[in-house]
Amino acid sequence: MDTDDNEVQDLELEPGGALESMIIPISEEGLLEHEGVESPRLAFKEGFDERLPSTVRENTRFCNGDSSKESSCEVHEEESREPIDLTAYRKHIFVFSEAGKPIYSRHGDEDLLASTMGIMQALSSCIQNRNQDQIRFMKAGKHRFVYLLRLPLVLVGVSSDPFLSFQQLQNHLLYMYNEIVCVLTHTVLTNVFEKRSNFDLRRILGGSEKQFDALADRMDVDPSFLLGAVRCLPLAASVRDQITQAIVQSCNKVKDLVFAILVADNHLVTMGRMKRYQLHPVDLHLIFNLVQSSQNLKDAETWFPICLPKFNAAAFLHAHVSYLDEECVSCLLLISAQRDQFFELQECRAKIVERMTKNKLFPVIAQSVKMAGYSARETGIFDLRHFIYKAKSSAQLSSPRYETVYLQEDSQRRLIGLYHLLHARMFNSGRPLKILYCAGERETQLGWHMVGFELYATFEPLISKEGAVKAMNKLLYWIKKEEDRLFIMNSATF
Amino acid sequence: MSNRKKVLLKVIVLGDSGVGKTCLMNQFVSKKFTNQYKATIGADFQTKEVMVDNKLITLQIWDTAGQERFQSLGVGFYRGADCCVLVYDVTSPTTFKSLESWRDEFLIQSSPKDPENFPFVVIGNKIDLENRSITTKRAQSWCQSKNNIPYFEVSAKEALHVDEAFATVARNAQAQENEVELYNEFPDQIKLSPLPTSSSRQDNCGC
Repeated sequence: MDTDDNEVQDLELEPGGALESMIIPISEEGLLEHEGVESPRLAFKEGFDERLPSTVRENTRFCNGDSSKESSCEVHEEESREPIDLTAYRKHIFVFSEAGKPIYSRHGDEDLLASTMGIMQALSSCIQNRNQDQIRFMKAGKHRFVYLLRLPLVLVGVSSDPFLSFQQLQNHLLYMYNEIVCVLTHTVLTNVFEKRSNFDLRRILGGSEKQFDALADRMDVDPSFLLGAVRCLPLAASVRDQITQAIVQSCNKVKDLVFAILVADNHLVTMGRMKRYQLHPVDLHLIFNLVQSSQNLKDAETWFPICLPKFNAAAFLHAHVSYLDEECVSCLLLISAQRDQFFELQECRAKIVERMTKNKLFPVIAQSVKMAGYSARETGIFDLRHFIYKAKSSAQLSSPRYETVYLQEDSQRRLIGLYHLLHARMFNSGRPLKILYCAGERETQLGWHMVGFELYATFEPLISKEGAVKAMNKLLYWIKKEEDRLFIMNSATF
Repeated sequence: MSNRKKVLLKVIVLGDSGVGKTCLMNQFVSKKFTNQYKATIGADFQTKEVMVDNKLITLQIWDTAGQERFQSLGVGFYRGADCCVLVYDVTSPTTFKSLESWRDEFLIQSSPKDPENFPFVVIGNKIDLENRSITTKRAQSWCQSKNNIPYFEVSAKEALHVDEAFATVARNAQAQENEVELYNEFPDQIKLSPLPTSSSRQDNCGC
């Protein structure tokens, strides 16, 4: 947070903003720690103008019009040892070692893609060798290839999605890299390859593939990765306070407990933290992904090492993870720096469950999850279909559920694609925009970047520019009014 | 990813231009041979699964260009190889003499931890031809002088001994790879400092 921001915020904080946030607010451009992919114009010119209506309607997996092939590539993908049709997927993520040995591939058996990854590494190696430079991206037809060198790992993303910019795809790779660090720590990752450059990393990444797959897919449909902000579960402020108190009071005297996080349905319910420690949105997203992709957490209390790469990539924290209610809605993570605290944290958990049960808080959480948030109609703005609002200082975001014309999954993906496009256009480093009005055939969108917030809204197609701007102001007013419910306004410490 | 206990080995094929590296690989991988010569540009890749001692092994074969102008493939190309196959043409003495420099080049570029015991395999190709100029004995004695490199004489054209040669490649490379102790070491515990961390936190994460 720079001083200018502070001055403005002292006068008035943006809706949902916080002076001392529990989540680390990140820079203007979101998570896009550009690896020198300074080609937004190229992406703009060559990429986004391919906004063919046909690509919009296609499913995420399309198989060049051959329907029989389509079914075959959908079925039993995980078990098959057959080479896959790489063009059948909209997005690929490949991870391999500096030696060109496959580590992970989102689609297909990575062993059978060993040649493909070899070629990718050879390209990178040649360019490094001859020009003392790095390969960053390639474009071949409608496919974009983005490299992310995080030695000893190389990550390559390939996308034919016209809505996904180079930077956004690179952002996916960064997340994937952090996910690997989350499993291994940066220390172990570099050590094994220092000892043996031919090491097959799959040996120690064993069992994490589901997590990687889930993350790769989640990033396509969840705008919180795009915006680098965390989604909160809408709850009445008084209820949230009670939950927070139940957690903080139960954990008060535990030494080295750094974070207590309550998650429900990929939303943050509340969080307690050790004084002076904040969580980075990337770490929270990885935690959400872990909870979401590990069904076995529902079976029992679990205790495992976890590295939060943005908190400290060098070492493990240790997490006590359990669902608190019978229905497995509310998942609690108690994250400590100590490796032998299971029983102590188990006691904490029991106290939390007791307090929350006494105050009948679980049904309230379950109800909010069941409602899937709120409706855009609650804003009272007639032409508004959907929006995404990010409070920058608190790194939290809020958006209504998908309704009416966006009920179907493919139309949701289309809408999310449009948000990606809007986002990329506004963050175009050659010409960053404060406000952008895009009238389309099927909807009209308005993006608005201010000191404290980012707001992206989708309206009925026929709304006028003036009408949309007025509606945005009204929407901001509504969010301000509802901020206690939509955002976590109080940051609790142990 | 892990459940099948997959083993993947990186094999690099080196040797002078025209000794038949690509033909050898094609014969081994797809049982095909062509007499037409087509220079490899830069590098070529093939993958082949083999059963060795009841274990399924995937060989990731990095076929290189023998011509000098393509030789700046970079350290990344050689790094992390599990085995290096040196190929020469039994009818061409210069290609045999080059083995020494190919071996040196590989060891310099890939800088393996234990260069003395790094698994090489030497293959003399084109034994189907009549104008042979390097005797088996001469080749064998060179291999012996280099810490007993296994030596095979093959014909990519007639598919003679090709599979045996690559089975040895797989077996020796895997033996070496097996020696890796599992890295179970745990990094040190995080020390929670009472200092504010928001500015200094990300320094050591390398990302």
